[in-house]
Amino acid sequence: MDVDQATQIDLFALAPELAVLGASLLVLLIELFLHGPRKRFVNPIAVLGVLVAFGFVVALWLDGAQRSSFGQMFVVDDYALAFKGFFLAVALFVLLISYRYFSEIRTFQGEYYFLMLAAFLGMMLMPSARDLVMLFIALELVSVPGFIMAGLRKFDLRSNEGAMKFFLFGVLSAAVLLFGLSIVYGFTGTTTLEGVAASLSAGEANPLLLAATLFVIAGFGFKVSAVPFHFWAPDTYEGAPIPVTAFLAVASKAAGFAGLLQVTFVAFEPLADVWAPVLGVVAILTMTLGNLTALTQTNMVRLLAYSSVAHAGYVLVPFAVVQPGDAALNADAFSAVLVYLFAYGAMNIGAFAVVIAVARRHPGRRVSDYAGLGQRSPGLAVALTTFLVSLGGIPPLVGFVAKLAVFFVAVEAGTTLGIVLAAAVAINTVISLVYYLRVARVVWMEEAPEPEPEPVQPGLALGFTVGGLAVVTVALFVLAPLLWGAADQAVLIASG
Amino acid sequence: MTEYYESYTTVFALLAAGILLVAVAFTASRLVRPDRSYGGKLSTYECGIDPVGQGWSQTHIRYYLFAFLFVIFDVETLFIFPWAVVLGEAGELQPFMLGVMLVFLFFVTLTLPYEYKKGVLKWA
Repeated sequence: MDVDQATQIDLFALAPELAVLGASLLVLLIELFLHGPRKRFVNPIAVLGVLVAFGFVVALWLDGAQRSSFGQMFVVDDYALAFKGFFLAVALFVLLISYRYFSEIRTFQGEYYFLMLAAFLGMMLMPSARDLVMLFIALELVSVPGFIMAGLRKFDLRSNEGAMKFFLFGVLSAAVLLFGLSIVYGFTGTTTLEGVAASLSAGEANPLLLAATLFVIAGFGFKVSAVPFHFWAPDTYEGAPIPVTAFLAVASKAAGFAGLLQVTFVAFEPLADVWAPVLGVVAILTMTLGNLTALTQTNMVRLLAYSSVAHAGYVLVPFAVVQPGDAALNADAFSAVLVYLFAYGAMNIGAFAVVIAVARRHPGRRVSDYAGLGQRSPGLAVALTTFLVSLGGIPPLVGFVAKLAVFFVAVEAGTTLGIVLAAAVAINTVISLVYYLRVARVVWMEEAPEPEPEPVQPGLALGFTVGGLAVVTVALFVLAPLLWGAADQAVLIASG
Repeated sequence: MTEYYESYTTVFALLAAGILLVAVAFTASRLVRPDRSYGGKLSTYECGIDPVGQGWSQTHIRYYLFAFLFVIFDVETLFIFPWAVVLGEAGELQPFMLGVMLVFLFFVTLTLPYEYKKGVLKWA
C-alpha cells in the first residue's frame, strides 16, 4: 500500500468512532472517582457519548461525500453510515435497558459500560473496513469485550460457563478466520476487498482458495451463530446478564452480518457459485434447528436465544441466492439482508427489554412466570405480544416486512435453491409461530399463580425503551417503503 | 519452491544430530555406570538440601496481576524498540510516526491511574 496514502487521516470521517472511544475512556476513569450508588451515573455519560456519535453520523450523512482514511482501509459511504446509525441506535437502547439492571447489581459498572462502548466501537469500524486486516480487527474488537461481559455475573456459575464457552468458540473461530484470510492473501497478494475481488475474477479457482473462502465464512458464521457454529449461543445467552444477551443477540450478530456482507458481496463475489449453495444449506439448517429447538424451551431467555439462531437462518437466505455478475439480483439480496437486520434489531431488543423488566420480579425467567402478565401489567404485555408476533412475521408489524423481503428475493432468484429456500422460510415461519404464540397465550389466557405477584414496574429508561420500540415495530410496517428505500440506498456490491 | 524446502535440510540435520547426541550420551552412560540406587539418591535434587513439600504449590493471586502488568509494559517496550530504530531514518514521515506512537503510549499510560485507583499496585 502507498505509505503517503496510509498516513492520510480524515478526522471528520472518524468523528463518530472518536466520540465513542472518548466516551468509553471517560466512563472507565470517572467511575473510579464515584462511590456507592453514584457509580450508576456513568450510564448517562455513555448515553451522551452515543448521542454525540449519532450526531456526527447524521452530519456525515448530510455532508454526503464519500470519505476515506488510512488509504482506503477505512471508508465512510452510505452503506457504512446506515450500519453506524443502526448500531448507535442499538447502543442507545442497550444502554437504556442496562441502567437499572447494572445499578442494582452494583458491580463492575465502569468496566461494563467501557466494554460495551468498546464493542460498539468495533461494530462501527466493521462496515467501514474495506480491508481484510481491518475487518479482523473490527471483528475481534466486537468479540473480546463480549467474552468478558458475558461473564460479568461472576457469582453465577451459569454466567461463568457461558462466558467460557463463548471464549473458547470465539478463539477457535478467530483462528479459523485468520487462517482463511492468510490463504486468501497468499493467493491474491492483496488485503483490500476490491483487490481480492479483482484478483479472484481474473484467476481460476483453486481448491485451496475455495477452502479458504469457506474458512472465512465459517469465522463469521460463529459470530452470527449459524448452525454448525451455534453451540455457544443458548448457554451464553442464558448465563450472561440480560442486557448483554440483548447485545449479543442483536448488535454483535448484526456486526457479524455486516462483515459477512462485505466479504461475500464484495471480496468473494466471483466465487459465489461455491459459497452461495453452502450458505443456502446452512440457512435451512439454521432456521429449522433453531425453531424446532425453541419449541421445547421453558426458559424465556433460552427460547429467545434459539429464536435468534433461527433468525440468523432467515438473514442467511439472501446470501444463498447471490450469483456472480448478476448485479441487479445481488443488490436486491443485499438490501433484503439490511431490511431484515434493521427490523430484527428493533423487535428483538424490545423483547429482551420486557424480559429484563419481568426478570426483576421473577429471576427464574421461566415462561410460566409470564402467566397473567396481561392483568398485572397490560402495557408490558401488549408490548411483549407486539414484539413476539412481529418476530413471528405477522402483519401489520415490521417482522412481516422483513420476512417478505427475504422471501421475495429467494423467489426472484428463480433457481431451485431459491424456491427451496422460500419454502423453508414459509414452513419455518409457521413453526416459529407455535412458540411465539404459546408465550402470548401464557401472557393473556393463563391465570397468575397464587398469591398474585406484584405488578412489574419497568422504570423510566426501560419503559421508554419498551414503548419506543413497540411504536417503531408498528411504524416501520407502515413506513416500509422508507425502510426499503434506505436499504436500497445503502447497497454495496462489487463494482463491476 | 524446491529451493525453499531445501533450506530446511539444515534444520532437519540439526534436529537429527540433537536427538542422536542425547540418545548416544544416555545409552553410553547407562552401559558404563554402576547401578546402586537407594532412597536418598532417588529423591528430587534441590541444591543438595532435603526436598520440602509437594511439587504442586499455590502461588498468591497477586502475582497473577503483577505478571499481567509486567507483560503489558514489557510488550510495550518491545513495540517501541524497533520504532525507535527506524524513526531516525523516517524522513518526512517522522511527525506522523511520532504522533501514532504517542497515541499508543497515551492508551498504555492511561492504564496506570486506573490500576492505581483500583488498588492493584498496593501489595498489602
